[in-house]
Parts: sequence; structure tokens; C-alpha cells
Amino acid sequence: MTGSRSAIRVPLLFLAWLLLTACGEVLDDRVIRMGLATAPLNLDPRFATDATSARINRLLYQRLVEFDARSMPVPGIADWRRISGTHYRFRLTRPRQVFSNGQPLTAADVVATYRFVLDPANASPHRSTLTLIEQVEQVNEEQIDFYLQRTDPLFPAYLALEILPAKLIAESHPFESHPVGSGGFRIVDRSVPGRLRLERLIDHQLIELVEVKNPTVRVLKLLRGEIHLLQNDLSPELVGYLKSRDGIQLKQMVGNNFSYIGFNMDDAATGNPLVRRAIAHAIDRQAIIRLVMNRAARTAEALFPPEHWAGAVDLPPIPYDPERAKALLGRAGYGPGNPLKLTYKTSSDPFRIRLATIIQSQLQAVGIELDLRSYDWGTFFGDIKAGRFQLYSLTWVGLRTPDSFRYIFASDHVPPAGANRGRYTSPLVDELLLQAESQESLAELAVSYRHIQQRLHEDLPYVPLWYEDQLAVSRQEVEGYRLRPDGNYDGLETVELMHSRISSAELADAAD
Amino acid sequence: MIDYLLTRLFSALLVVVGVALVVFLLIHLVPGDPVDVMLGESARPADREALRTALGLDQALGRQLLDYFSGLARLDLGSSIYSRQPVSELLAARIPATLQLALAATVCALLIAIPLGLLAAVRRGEAWDWGAMSFSLVGLSIPNFWLGPVLVLVFSLWLGWTPVSGREASGSIILPAITLGTGFAAILARMVRSSLLEVLGEDYVRTARAKGLDEPRVVWRHAMRNAWLPVVTLLGLQLGALLGGAVVTEIVFDWPGVGSLLIEAIQKRDYPVVQGCVLFVSLVYVLVNTLTDLAYGVLDPRIRQGLD
Repeated sequence: MTGSRSAIRVPLLFLAWLLLTACGEVLDDRVIRMGLATAPLNLDPRFATDATSARINRLLYQRLVEFDARSMPVPGIADWRRISGTHYRFRLTRPRQVFSNGQPLTAADVVATYRFVLDPANASPHRSTLTLIEQVEQVNEEQIDFYLQRTDPLFPAYLALEILPAKLIAESHPFESHPVGSGGFRIVDRSVPGRLRLERLIDHQLIELVEVKNPTVRVLKLLRGEIHLLQNDLSPELVGYLKSRDGIQLKQMVGNNFSYIGFNMDDAATGNPLVRRAIAHAIDRQAIIRLVMNRAARTAEALFPPEHWAGAVDLPPIPYDPERAKALLGRAGYGPGNPLKLTYKTSSDPFRIRLATIIQSQLQAVGIELDLRSYDWGTFFGDIKAGRFQLYSLTWVGLRTPDSFRYIFASDHVPPAGANRGRYTSPLVDELLLQAESQESLAELAVSYRHIQQRLHEDLPYVPLWYEDQLAVSRQEVEGYRLRPDGNYDGLETVELMHSRISSAELADAAD
Repeated sequence: MIDYLLTRLFSALLVVVGVALVVFLLIHLVPGDPVDVMLGESARPADREALRTALGLDQALGRQLLDYFSGLARLDLGSSIYSRQPVSELLAARIPATLQLALAATVCALLIAIPLGLLAAVRRGEAWDWGAMSFSLVGLSIPNFWLGPVLVLVFSLWLGWTPVSGREASGSIILPAITLGTGFAAILARMVRSSLLEVLGEDYVRTARAKGLDEPRVVWRHAMRNAWLPVVTLLGLQLGALLGGAVVTEIVFDWPGVGSLLIEAIQKRDYPVVQGCVLFVSLVYVLVNTLTDLAYGVLDPRIRQGLD
């Protein structure tokens, strides 16, 4: 009998323990919680490459240069003067900047940060954008000189790297887990995987970034009040559902992340310009945006949106014209007796797969048979880089400087030398890219890059699809969150919970 | 007994080394390159090579394998390619959550399965049996990615009893444990029923009844004790699987366990983290199976004597 009693007792005792341990903390209503689809991977800006880390690092650290609404570089914590084509002097302008460990931010910190990244031995993934720099020198406590290998009017735009304290760099401080920055936030707790608690220094407001991978669960948490705010990464169905709910507010603004269909120019079918143009005319982008994306996007004609300082404003839209698409296919030798069969590769993201099936259906209407293949990101990206595709779809995120055109379209930038995945070769575009690089001013650069975009619009190595909007969904008590076109989290600098007007002293207690 | 334990330990070591070897080779054969994922396409070839060198990926596979095993010998699992945090730290942060969820799901499954299986066996052919086995069939058929959100919808959103997800808030273990435990309970209930039915037909059970023992005592004390062996085998296998990480449930409920860490690492081709996670899973399997074997000895004196 003893055995049977203990057989019952053990699981019951264990259950009791579980229930006791499950009685965790009660959610602190002084904390603003934001749901993220993915947690940041690395809080050391010298090594971080994922978008979430970059967005959070923006809050923790400061940069020499920021960007305005047209993506023009503007002073961040420093302004600059071009002394010669290859010599720029930066001056720290914001007085008394200090790191979260109390040390003041000086020119020495800027020099140490850039020298670290430029040292090939440190294998920083950001070195490639900075290899133009030949030397970084500290002039005095406030001024830094950058010497370049060649002239490049875009140079200041490359200096968007977050600044770290020189002393801690020298001590090999683990910034990836214990960041020390001079931004408007500091980390107060990251003991729980997938959770990051920040303190906004100006008013001690606590903000918790919570990783919730499943978008449906993110929405349910928002509705139940476990999180207050979401930004992007929601399917149109979920957005539509949220729109119909009381107590939920939705903010939307135009974004600049560029979605496109890429072609393999080495392929006999997709290398034919008639086929590419036929596909462009066969896709009803307006209908997809209206019916599938809940109008949360705008059609794109080029890599950069029209408001970008180098954007092409006068490119004619590619109209949806299935009859013209059929005619073009006929001219290319395809028709009902000889249908065009293509393979379309995409990632395993459910929304991307859904878009792919819609495009498949639209192309079928003009006689193109599309075979869809979806892969996990590593395999998909590997195939695209290796040229193992006919068509694929991707989105360029966070492009700011027009030197991207060289990486994406120059004939000598086929992977691994660049991002010319489609093996596009155009002597004219190569020539225009060379001309652009020799320009002395941003205005001249803009003109050159507009010519390039015009040519690309004619050749169609990409079918431009759309720029997806930025979207923030929050509970009614959330105020002051401002969206940004590139989807960063700078809105957390001003966000507030209106129902809990708690004194700064109380919030400071909570932070400690 | 000591000899038996030593033999098990040795074979466990062989299994773990074998798993480490296979995983190392497989993850390096899968298409995709962590350097590409990290740097994107705008990186220059020289920077790719620099990063490849820094990560040790430029060396021959044999050399990398040797480095990996020499690290293992020093209990060094390496560091994540992305976060640069030691894999042991990443695992240490996740293991408590995995343990808690696996054990909670097991308790949940036992609490459902044993009464259900007992009832079905004792009331064989009656409505109770039919009902219990129907429940079992339904439980087995419902996928966790559906059951989880439905439970959240009902218990979190409509009734407001439990948090939607996460691990910190009060009662956060309840829904993931039920989600994970339901399928497990369904299998277990069927096993309890069939084992018990087999034992209930034995002569010694008839003898016990003939001695005048009441039915609950006959079933629990005499029959159930002998029905435990196949149940414990299944329990061991399932617990091993749960401890290895319940990926779907972890993702639905944002449970910060080893399973979700493993999936993220595979997607990013974060080789050291994948290797560390799989090594942990294999260790858990070996440990749980060894404990299961030892439990046989506790439950069955004949096996105990054989071991001695």
C-alpha cells in the first residue's frame, strides 16, 4: 500500500511545486511593452547585422550622422566640413554627451570605434561600407579627421555606426550582452531570454521589448493587454481583424522597403526582355495592394521611392495589361501551343507564399505556368546567390545610399562580389555607374542615378512591385508613438501610457 | 548493478559522440552559409574571407571537426556566430524553461492518462471505454499549433484566466502544459488501457479477486503494478522528446526553451548553437533512457535480480 500512496503522492507534490513556481510575477502596469517578431541577436553595433538589433542599438547608442526624410545625411552628434575631396572633419556638436557608465563621449571614442571596425583582424561585418576610409585621426577632444582613399560625395552617409566608449573597447568589454552607449535608453534587465527591459533616461519610463514569434499570439497578447504596442510583421488578415476591435488604434505611414521580382538574365526565357516585360504587365499590383495587402503599400517603379533625394519621380508606371502581356509573349515565341513554364522561388514565410500564389494565378491568366518553390531562408538565399533560379521575389530593406545601384546592378558585382543576383549585364548601366561615381556633388549624383533608374526601368532586371507601408498597432492608452519610414523604433523615445501617470521618482524606483 | 551502470555510461558516451559527429557533418552539408546570412550581399569578398577566418570557417572540415571535439573535451561548446555569447550560456538560460515545461506536460499527461486508461480497461466495452478512447483519438489527432491558439482564445481572451504567452506571468505554465500534455496523454491512455487489459486477464488477478480483495485494490495494487512496464517505456521516450524541446508549443506560447533556440539556430546556420542544442537533446535522451531502464528494476523484482 505504501508504494501506491507514494505513486500518487509524487506527482501531486510535483504538481504543487509546478503551480507554485508557475505563480510568477504580476505584469507591472508601469512598463510599456512592445511585441517583436524576433529578439535582437547582438547589442554590439560593431557586429550586429539583424534589423532588430540595429533598431534597438539606435536607442542605446548615438551616431555621427542621421538621415532626414529624403534619406539625406544630416548631423547626428556631429556636424562635418569637407576640407578636400578626400578629407572630412567632423565636430561633436552636442555638448556633455555621456555614456551610461558616466564617461563623457569624446572624439577619442569615435576614433576608437571606427578604428576597431576598420581593423580587418576584428572581422566586423560593417567594415565593407567603410573601406573607403584610409585613416581616422583625433584632432582634439571634439574633432575627428577622416582621410579617404578617393573622393566620394556620399561619404558622410556611411558614418551611421554607433559610437562606443574607447576605454571599454580597449578592455574588450562584452557589449553584445552588456551594452554601454550614450543613447536615450539603457538596458536594465535582459535576464529572461526573449525579453529586454530598457529605461528611457529622460523620464525613467520602463519599456520592455518582448519577443513573440507567432503573429496571431502577438495580436492576442495585444488584445489582452499583455503588450501595448506592435509594429509591422502582421498579415493583412490580422490587421483587418485589429481594425474592427474596440480599444485598438492603428497608425500607418508610407515605407521605403522595396519589394520586387528578380530575373535570372542567364536563363534563356527570363533573359528575354520581351518575357520580362510581359510578366511586368501581367501582374496586377494595384489589385494585390488593394485586396490582399489592405492598401498597406504603394506601387514602386524603382529601388528608391520618389521622395528619396536620388529617387526618380518621372518614371512611367508599368500598367496592368494582360492583352499586351500575351502579345509580348507571342512575340517571344510563346503561346497556347507552347506555353512559357517558369520556376519561382520564395522564402517559407506564409505571406510571401500567398503572394507568390496570387502572382502564379495572374501569370496563368496570360498563359505562363509558374512552378512555385518555397525554401527556408538559408537555402533560398544560397540558391539566389548561386543563380539557381528563374524568378524570385525579395525585399530590399533599409537602402539609403544610391551606391547600392553598383552592388545590385553592376556587371562585375555578381555574387559573391556583390548583389547582382540576376547576372544583369548592361555596358550602358556600367558606364553610367562609373560616371556617377566621379560626380563631385550630391545634385550631380542624383541626376546620374536617375539616368540609371530610367535605364533599369526599360531593361527590367527587376519587376518593381511595391513599397510596403509601416504599421503600428497599439492599445488605446498608448500615445505619442511615431512611425518612421524605415521601420526603426525611435518612436519609443516619445511613447507614453496615458492611464498611468506615475511620477519619475516611482519609475526610477522600478528601474532599480 | 555497477557493471550495468558502467556499460550504460560507456554506450551513452558512444551515442553522444556519434550524434555530435553526425550533426557536425550534416549541418555543414546543408546549403546556406552563415557568413552570407550575417553580411548580406553588399560585403566585399575580402571582408567575407576575414569573417570566415575569424569564425574558423575557412579551415578544412576535418580541422573544424577536430577543433570542435577538442572543445567538447574541455566542455567548451563554442560561441554563437551571431550573438557571440557562449553556447553553454545560451543553453543554460533555456534549459530551466524546457525542464519545467516537459515535466509539467508529463504530469498533466499522467493526470489525464492514468484515470482515463484505467477507466477504459476496467469498463471495457462500455460507454466509459468508448468515451475514453474517443477522447484519446481526438487528443492524438489535434495538432499543437491549432490546440494552443484555441486554448489561448478560450482561457486567456474570453475567460481571462491565464496569460496568453510567455513564462513570467502567473499561471503561464498551464496552457503550454495542457497543449503539450494532451497528445502525450492520448498515447499514454491507450497504452495504460492495453497493458492493464492484458494483466487483468492473468491468473494472479483472478486469485486476488478470489481472496476477496476489493476491485480498486486488485486493479491498482496488483494489476497496475505489472502494467507499468510498457507505460514507463513510453513515458521515458516521450519525456526524452519533450525535454529535447517542444518546438511548436514553445513558439506558440513564446516559451523560451531549447527547441525554439534550436530552430532559430538552424534557420541562421548558427553552427555552434545547433551542435550544442542537438548535443543537449541527445544527452537528455540517453539519460532518460538509462533512468527508464533503471526504473524497470525498481518496478519488477525479476529485472532487479537480473541486474544484480
